[in-house]
Amino acid sequence: MSTNILEVKDLQKVYPNGTHALRGVSFDVVKGEFLVIIGLSGSGKSTLLRCINRLHDPSSGSVKFNEEEVTTIKGSDLRQVRSKIGMIFQHFNLIPRKTVLTNVLTGTLSKTSVTKSIFGIYSEEDRAKALSLIELVGLSGKENHRADNLSGGQQQRVAIARALMQNPKMLLADEPVASLDPATSHSVMQYLKKVNEELGVTILCNLHFLSLVRQYATRVIALKGGELIYEGSPKEIDEEWFRTIYGEEAVEVTID
Amino acid sequence: MSTIKETTLPKHLQYKETGFKKSSNVIQALSIDILLWGYTSLVTYKVIYQKLIMNMRHADFTWSQPLAALGVGAIISLILFMTKFSIGRASKGLYEIDENETYMKQPFMFLGYFIIILTFVVGLQVSQVSMREFLSEAGLTGARRIFTALFQPNFAIIEPALFAAVETIYMAFIATAISLPFAFLLGFFAARNLMSNSPLTFAIYNLVRFYLNISRSIEPLVWAIIFSVWVGIGPFAGMLALCLHSISSLAKLYSEQIENISDGPIEAMTATGAHPIQVIWFGVVPQIVLPYLSFTIYRWDINVRMATIIGLVGGGGIGTMLMQYQGLAKWNEVGLLVIVIAIIVWIMDYSSSKIRASIK
Ligand SMILES: Nc1ncnc2c1ncn2[C@@H]1O[C@H](COP(=O)(O)OP(=O)(O)OP(=O)(O)O)[C@@H](O)[C@H]1O
Ligand SMILES: [Mg+2]
Repeated sequence: MSTNILEVKDLQKVYPNGTHALRGVSFDVVKGEFLVIIGLSGSGKSTLLRCINRLHDPSSGSVKFNEEEVTTIKGSDLRQVRSKIGMIFQHFNLIPRKTVLTNVLTGTLSKTSVTKSIFGIYSEEDRAKALSLIELVGLSGKENHRADNLSGGQQQRVAIARALMQNPKMLLADEPVASLDPATSHSVMQYLKKVNEELGVTILCNLHFLSLVRQYATRVIALKGGELIYEGSPKEIDEEWFRTIYGEEAVEVTID
Repeated sequence: MSTIKETTLPKHLQYKETGFKKSSNVIQALSIDILLWGYTSLVTYKVIYQKLIMNMRHADFTWSQPLAALGVGAIISLILFMTKFSIGRASKGLYEIDENETYMKQPFMFLGYFIIILTFVVGLQVSQVSMREFLSEAGLTGARRIFTALFQPNFAIIEPALFAAVETIYMAFIATAISLPFAFLLGFFAARNLMSNSPLTFAIYNLVRFYLNISRSIEPLVWAIIFSVWVGIGPFAGMLALCLHSISSLAKLYSEQIENISDGPIEAMTATGAHPIQVIWFGVVPQIVLPYLSFTIYRWDINVRMATIIGLVGGGGIGTMLMQYQGLAKWNEVGLLVIVIAIIVWIMDYSSSKIRASIK
């Protein structure tokens, strides 16, 4: 059995408006990695993550998750695969006006029948699990607060709990700390690290700050204009690579 | 390596000056002129000349008149097209006008001002505005009689009046309530962002939009007349008319609300592997309930007013009662009904705006 949880081959994405966002991207992800994707704005990072769980349909190429081809599946098969891949977003994307607990419970939707979920009927087990995940992300006592009244960092932690509720094998994180302040960024990254190391969840994460990349990534890939131009360890990103990835005039900004 | 973005402008933004485009512009400009001058000639002849100057009682109408007017218009247009007096040329951008000059003082505006004044004069004539009648002795006595009666409402009929008013309010409420589920469903089908993914759903979207636009453009009053022939005069006919109109109006408002929601929660729910119905229930519905509630309450408010009007053509409730007393020229009773209607409308208006403000 292969240790690759994800194999991406020659992935292309052309949006209906003609934008060629991915131009033949190939890479593998080993189980348990914390893989960070870097690249300029518009280089195709978000597109790449969304092609993996099919929020966007790739134009061509192949994505294998646990050796199962996901670019061609549909309906309940697709939902089955999605349920094993958690996702968190830059803007958290919680359900407004709903409590923290309800938000975390939406992580079980794929395993709950449509009618039950509409009437808010979840099993005791699921509720207990949701509460323990809320505790895990340090939000005990907040389970009945409205999610949209929490601070940005707290909302992102709710989103992590929601993703963990899926029992994911892999987590996609699209710039999870881009709208947070430095201190909060670190705390959220710490939680992701914990999820990665203690729960063994493989993580694919888009990041902007190289200081965060060096601190958390086990491996880095870089995109530029929809092509993969770098793959290696975070320590190997030197001045020269930095210029190639971000352009001649770029200066590194740090976050600590 | 550099980011290559294929940017193509949408068709209508691509600017190509072709001979065809230019000549079609000239034709359009000329058509505008001919229509405007044709209109000017026709109403000048029919209203200013025949009615006001010759004071004809029954000026007969033949179809040759508008045709002749168009002919006259065409001649005038052709002559003026060469000068600075052509509105058509101006509106098609075929004049070179200094950016700093205002349009107001350009020669071509002359016809524009003339048409506005002409239309005003013709309007007065057509709506038979007559100060003489407004202030005539007999007219004023009649008005005085009605007004005194209106200000002495007959409270003897307060009980049936209130019952009729309650009937109207309930009719409006039931019409709103029945419309709700239909509008709720149609709203999703009429939301562009949910329906533009596949050709099939987009076709459904267009069909639903078409239906909504057509049915909304027919007044509830007209529906009420149709239904009163169908199911007989009474509250049921009125309610059906209100329902039909409410469904279309609400569905339109609902769908616009859906088009404005943020994609984030939808993406998040899809990513959990949720069923499409669950995606809508958790990703869309929480974002729209409050605006929906607000629209619906407002709709009930509108429906109470409409139900009153529909009552005038036999849709039941207080409107029908008003029509009956008015037909019998019982002005004291009419006075009471007018007061009751005013109070209901005021209460509905006040409470609906209060409720809507509190659920913002
Ligand atoms: N839904 C879409 N439709 C059309 N074009 C899109 C869409 N989403 C992204 N693009 C385009 O695809 C390219 C890649 O965008 P993408 O969002 O993947 O970049 P990114 O690396 O995530 O950038 P950022 O750091 O700004 O989030 C961009 O040129 C963008 O304009
Ligand atoms: Mg992005």
